[in-house]
Amino acid sequence: MTIPYRDENDAPDKWEVQLRKGCLELAVLASLWEGKVYGLEILRRLETVSNLVVSEGTVYPLLTRLKALGLVTSEWVESDAGHPRKYYALTRAGRERALEMARVWARFSASVSKLITPLERKL
Amino acid sequence: MTDADESLRKIDAYLERLRRHLRGMREEDAREVVAELRSHILDRAGDLVSIPVVDSALAALGPAENLAGEYLTDDLLSRAQATRSPWLILRSLFRWASLSLAGFFILLGSIVTYALGFVLAWAAVLKVVHPQTVGLWSIPQSGGDYELSLHMGFAAPPAGGRELLGWWIIPFGLVVGLGLFFLTLRLDHWSIGRFRRSRALRTR
Repeated sequence: MTIPYRDENDAPDKWEVQLRKGCLELAVLASLWEGKVYGLEILRRLETVSNLVVSEGTVYPLLTRLKALGLVTSEWVESDAGHPRKYYALTRAGRERALEMARVWARFSASVSKLITPLERKL
Repeated sequence: MTDADESLRKIDAYLERLRRHLRGMREEDAREVVAELRSHILDRAGDLVSIPVVDSALAALGPAENLAGEYLTDDLLSRAQATRSPWLILRSLFRWASLSLAGFFILLGSIVTYALGFVLAWAAVLKVVHPQTVGLWSIPQSGGDYELSLHMGFAAPPAGGRELLGWWIIPFGLVVGLGLFFLTLRLDHWSIGRFRRSRALRTR
């Protein structure tokens, strides 16, 4: 059975899309780890640090969900740009959740990395 | 009209459409969503608010209706989880049913169970008004079979039928009817909570 890495239009295949979706919550929580950040900054961090390009219409509802679940808080802060920005920060529960997810992710990726070691020469 | 004016008009039109589709959400929450997205679009546009930049920012957010739908679903699920109102819970289930097959089956099961619970509890109440006809009847059929039928007292007692529970229909109807109602409410609460949690991981 062949699983194509890319489809005809060079779009990521389903597996890759699901993988990105699955780690988005961790990525967003992790991008808040070092302090409060506003929406566009989160998107840029995801893109520059982890090459995770996320639809902008996805991140804002996700942040609202995380806030409703008590994992993040938000506050409006005046900016030099001339308009206020909504900054997000992790709550205690959010930090615990991020740590828990990071542990699972580290274990998971380490075990998959071991499995794919023989394939690495082909990459 | 300058390029900047036209760009701002486009932003306002998009946010107005979004606002309209957020109807049903608490006013304060809807205002906050709109304010945050305005801030995002302006941040994305930077110092030079121009039509191509604004068009690209709005395209990246996706159609206002879809974006509003995401917020509305979350809002409804969050309120349903915090309430005991069957009406709000049913509204959330309808929303969930429009999004997935699992939601559809949970809605279907809930409607059936709520209806059964309501009918049993209502039969208990009506027994006081029409004691001769309300009840669970066993009605003989041809071939020696029996049919069980719950009568609510709006017609004559079934010919040849035998009432099975008598006055016991009152405690039975109240306990089982209300029990079904509250059990379904609890199950709906639980499943909405799970669905809501799983949505935190979901992206469009």
